[in-house]
Amino acid sequence: MRRRATAIAALSVLAALASVAAASATVDRAAAPSAAASLDRQLISCGKTVTMGMLAPITGPAASLGKPQVDWAKYYVAQHNKANKKLKLRLQFGDTVLGGPGGTAEAVKAAQSFGANVLGVVGPAGSNEVKATTATLKGAGVGFVSGSATNTTITTDGTRTGFFFRTVPPDAQQSKDVSNYIIKKLKAKNVYIIDDQEAYSTGLADEVQSQLKAAGVSVSRDGVSQQQSDFSSLIAKIPRTTDVVYIPWQLPPKGKALGEQMRSAGKGNIKLMGSDGLYDPDFASVGTNVYDSFFPVSPKSATVKNFTKAHGGNGEFFGAPSYAAAQVVGGAIDRACKNGTASRAEVRAQIMKTKLKTSVLGIPISFDKNGDIRRKKFGIWKSNGTNFLPVG
Amino acid sequence: MNWSLFWDLTVSGVTLGSVYALVALGYSMVYGILKLLNFAHGDVYMIGAFMGWFALHWLGGPVNPSVTAALVVVFMFAFAMVACGGLGVVIERFAYRPLRNAPRIAPLISALGVSFFLQNSALLLFGANFRDYDTFDLIGAKTYHYKDIFLSVPQILTIVSAIGLMIGLTLLVARTKIGKAMRATSFDREAASMMGIDVDRVIASTFFIGSALAGAAGVMFGLVFGQIYHFMGFLAGLKGFTAAVIGGIGSIPGAMLGGLLVGLAESYATGYLPQGSTFQNLYVFALLIAIIIIRPQGLLGKADVNKV
Repeated sequence: MRRRATAIAALSVLAALASVAAASATVDRAAAPSAAASLDRQLISCGKTVTMGMLAPITGPAASLGKPQVDWAKYYVAQHNKANKKLKLRLQFGDTVLGGPGGTAEAVKAAQSFGANVLGVVGPAGSNEVKATTATLKGAGVGFVSGSATNTTITTDGTRTGFFFRTVPPDAQQSKDVSNYIIKKLKAKNVYIIDDQEAYSTGLADEVQSQLKAAGVSVSRDGVSQQQSDFSSLIAKIPRTTDVVYIPWQLPPKGKALGEQMRSAGKGNIKLMGSDGLYDPDFASVGTNVYDSFFPVSPKSATVKNFTKAHGGNGEFFGAPSYAAAQVVGGAIDRACKNGTASRAEVRAQIMKTKLKTSVLGIPISFDKNGDIRRKKFGIWKSNGTNFLPVG
Repeated sequence: MNWSLFWDLTVSGVTLGSVYALVALGYSMVYGILKLLNFAHGDVYMIGAFMGWFALHWLGGPVNPSVTAALVVVFMFAFAMVACGGLGVVIERFAYRPLRNAPRIAPLISALGVSFFLQNSALLLFGANFRDYDTFDLIGAKTYHYKDIFLSVPQILTIVSAIGLMIGLTLLVARTKIGKAMRATSFDREAASMMGIDVDRVIASTFFIGSALAGAAGVMFGLVFGQIYHFMGFLAGLKGFTAAVIGGIGSIPGAMLGGLLVGLAESYATGYLPQGSTFQNLYVFALLIAIIIIRPQGLLGKADVNKV
């Protein structure tokens, strides 16, 4: 009898706990959208200093790409604060550890670390990171502007329209410029494409592959994980008659490893072409028959010259579009804060209205309805053994 | 038959197999004596790769070394082997010896703990970035070839030094006093102890030698494949362990054979099988499963005979 009573009591407690849990879940679900909406329109007093977030690979395998982005964003903030006595900007960083063993989870954690005072975000760097952080950033109503995520569909799939913008052209443009250069300038007949199995890379590789095939070029396709360092058996598969190996990868040390292992296998004479993710002195150091597609940063621009001078002669061009991204977010915050307060929704609206007549990228910056820049152009660069120089 | 592809894949497989064989030897030696799967062994290999990198940079780096390239390479190997040997002894002393008479699951868990400890310590101390050996700057980009067989200097160096180390180990185990003591301890630890063999010293020596070989393998990997990072020991350790099991865990020739087989399987899978470069690990581990099912004791291992 006592056992039965105990069982009934235990069941009652469980039922009570379950109903409390269900009730709280209902409350959470109901509260979630309104909480996000209120955060979106919540007015923040701008005061003397406002916070701009930045998501970048500060550590991890792609840290060499994160450093120039961070340096250029800091450079913008320093210039902004020098010119604006009333309203200063402060950067709050989140490390996305792009290409690390934790996948995109680090990027999500970094995005979640931003407090309610962050009015806009620069970054993240990778297209997969953009996809992964969308729920967090969009849920919090934050506009985010990337200076390097180029996957074509991240602006066209409608998932983040009005929240996500980028200062770099999409891969659809990159693939067109790369294919043209391979066909018309390098006059390649046999091309070997190796993607890195990530969304950015496979998307770009697919587009280049179909454009080359349409032009009658013989194309072989392969893929390899970026967790790997030994490419020797993959290299063995590349025929010695190959004219160009195209690697739209994101980790310059991996591009370097492939290039060096190709030399080691006696295939160093084959031209190696990377994409914007490999635009780095590390990759350029492989040799003089290394090419890369990158944004048309103008080395003659006064801002680029001054940055280069301030950074010991290293232009760190990969970060230049992040300067433009910081300029977009910073400018939007300035305009939204004119009356002393601003909400994230106001900052997003101001980002959309951006109109920069000139930029470090050599093109004006304004956005179309998807968040892409209106003037799209990629440049082709060739290594001199140490750095990339523009050739097309 | 595309012979050029076949030879390229073979050279690549033998080079990689040489590295795996050295890692597998450490697993096999420790298992032979303690019946312990030392899962931290892959991370000792990673530490070896870093020690080689530090040695290289202490001598001025790959571009302007303060001594000749040959001496730099010798010093890299020597330093990594001694450092890893010492690390192996420390691991044995503090993580495994206190658990020697504990249930077999305890040292296994301890080994996993040491593995994570080493991995995260490397992340903390050396950072998350890749480090480059820049082998071409150090020893040049010269490639030798005979008809369709192409061999680079780092590949030759790796294969030759792996063979040298394996011959050395075989001679040490077969012809020296410590080798005889190792064999006796492996056969029956208690009886060896009763015969006056200092079992603790023998076990420590085994860890020293096995870890030193892993250190050498780490340097070889850096020289051939160029880059090292804190997480590199995980998969290499698994492959080394697979090689040891395929060859017959506890058997030294088995570890060498297993290493070469795994290296070649990985290379041929990449070259010949559909989407091989993406799914090479699937093929390698499928081979492991197939061999284990057909011959549970491994190719050169002896079946356990238990009195019932």
